[in-house]
Amino acid sequence: MADLIQLPRRAAVGTISAVTAPLRPLLPPNSVDEWGRDDHLVRLIQPFARLRWDVSIGGLQHLPARKGALLITNERRLSFSPLYVAWALSKATDRPVRFVGRPDHAPFGAALRRVGALLDNPTEVHGALRHGEIVVMGTATTNHPRYAGVVDHELVGAAVTAGVSVVPVASMSTLLSRAARAEIGAPVRLRTKRRGPLAEIEIAEIAQRHLQKMLDELGGVQTGMAPIDWLGEG
Amino acid sequence: MTDVRGQRLLVSGMGGELGSLVASLLEDEPWVGSLCGIDVDPPRRRLRRAEFHRIEPSDRERIVDVVTAFDPHVLIHLAVWEPDARAGTAQARQFTADATTAFLGAAGECPSLESIVVRSGIELYGRNRHSLTRPDESVHPDPTSVYGHMVERIETVAQSVAARIGVAVGAVRLAPVLGPHVPSPLGRLLRQPMVPFSIMADPPFTVVRDDDAACAFVAAARRRLAEPVNVVAPGAVTGLQAIVRGGRLPVPLVGPEWAITRRMSHLFGAPIPEHVLEVLHRGRLADGDRAIELLGVTPTASTPEVIDRLFAWESVVRVTKAPRAVA
Repeated sequence: MADLIQLPRRAAVGTISAVTAPLRPLLPPNSVDEWGRDDHLVRLIQPFARLRWDVSIGGLQHLPARKGALLITNERRLSFSPLYVAWALSKATDRPVRFVGRPDHAPFGAALRRVGALLDNPTEVHGALRHGEIVVMGTATTNHPRYAGVVDHELVGAAVTAGVSVVPVASMSTLLSRAARAEIGAPVRLRTKRRGPLAEIEIAEIAQRHLQKMLDELGGVQTGMAPIDWLGEG
Repeated sequence: MTDVRGQRLLVSGMGGELGSLVASLLEDEPWVGSLCGIDVDPPRRRLRRAEFHRIEPSDRERIVDVVTAFDPHVLIHLAVWEPDARAGTAQARQFTADATTAFLGAAGECPSLESIVVRSGIELYGRNRHSLTRPDESVHPDPTSVYGHMVERIETVAQSVAARIGVAVGAVRLAPVLGPHVPSPLGRLLRQPMVPFSIMADPPFTVVRDDDAACAFVAAARRRLAEPVNVVAPGAVTGLQAIVRGGRLPVPLVGPEWAITRRMSHLFGAPIPEHVLEVLHRGRLADGDRAIELLGVTPTASTPEVIDRLFAWESVVRVTKAPRAVA
């Protein structure tokens, strides 16, 4: 009868476990949620994110306490406003806040998923909203920081079918300063109740108008240095 | 939900770990009258009431004879071979196709049949570019692996049979099943001393414990499930996190070296089939919230707990030799 050769498997596992032990606090084994967001990673990089954006928030009372909500924020080109609005709101509300718009290829898509990004897909957004998540989406990008771009009505449709509120969030940041602002408005409501797809189209239009009004009320960037404020206007 | 006692249940694939678990749970159900099982291997547990037939999946005539003679009210079809679990990919595909044809074909000849419950998997959603992070049951199947295509075919055949004879068909779409004796290529890979993972993606995935999967099948049979349902453990874990939980050495890989790693891993006894590679590259999550509504049960063990149990198993249970009697 042949002899069974035993590989030193247990010793190997024990040695490897001891070697990797110092790294384990950096890689907490249970920090990723069901949508792939890694809360530990988000907390680790938040201090670095604050070096770029120091966000002040207003109007938190407009956010639902437990239910999901679709937040629509204006987006100047390369401002990454959905990202900093989501992170700032996550810290302020102590809830995971997700944002729409990750590419689906490694490594950028994978990295963005770890910090809370969802695919730019109405079904994906609908799934998240149905599960009581707060999701931030950007309008179409513009070149001017105080112009609200067009709102994608298909993503708004996800909120309508999920039965959650749509909330405009005016955001303001500059390329030359850390100061950023996110002002949460009241949820958008239709005067006439719609049963069909007109609901999302009209809500998207009203949300864009609300956003524009809020941006007008916020005023321009005020750093105290006129040339910088002028540059900040885009 | 059925409240009629004395129901006849047939479990295909009763010899496997999941099939044996389902059969042992069904034996304790008051509504189950008689229980019959067919598989190529004998059951892994002691069953008190079940009648077992050892038949090869390719022996269609015998399967049809046994199934039609038993004339079940409910057929639970668990005869599914996951690639590289108990057989290589080509054999697994052949065995699964044979068993699907034989059992579901035979079910069509049973006049008392009321319900078919089939084993499926969340692999059938596929992981193409821009596929949803957490697909629910309403998402159209778009498999991207051999195993995904296998389970999609089982669902398609079951639906066509059910439509022809007018019975309910339910599909229990399981996340990768892990348990102490369940042959799983993912579990086997994660238990290696050194485990590869994709450093560029390291996506999250979910699993399900074997007991929870078995409870889901029993509930599906009791409730006469008539639609697909995802059965996944709550929570998620990434490949690197699972490796760290088990105290294994993570081996970061970027891309081209995966081909070599797969071959080496195969040599060390842990082949990496296509659908497991997909888990490590693209992740595998699903929305399991409808399980409580459709089945009345939901998995109790979270994904991190199932992974911890995976690493807590003993590798080899040593049985000491009895001293030889000297004359």
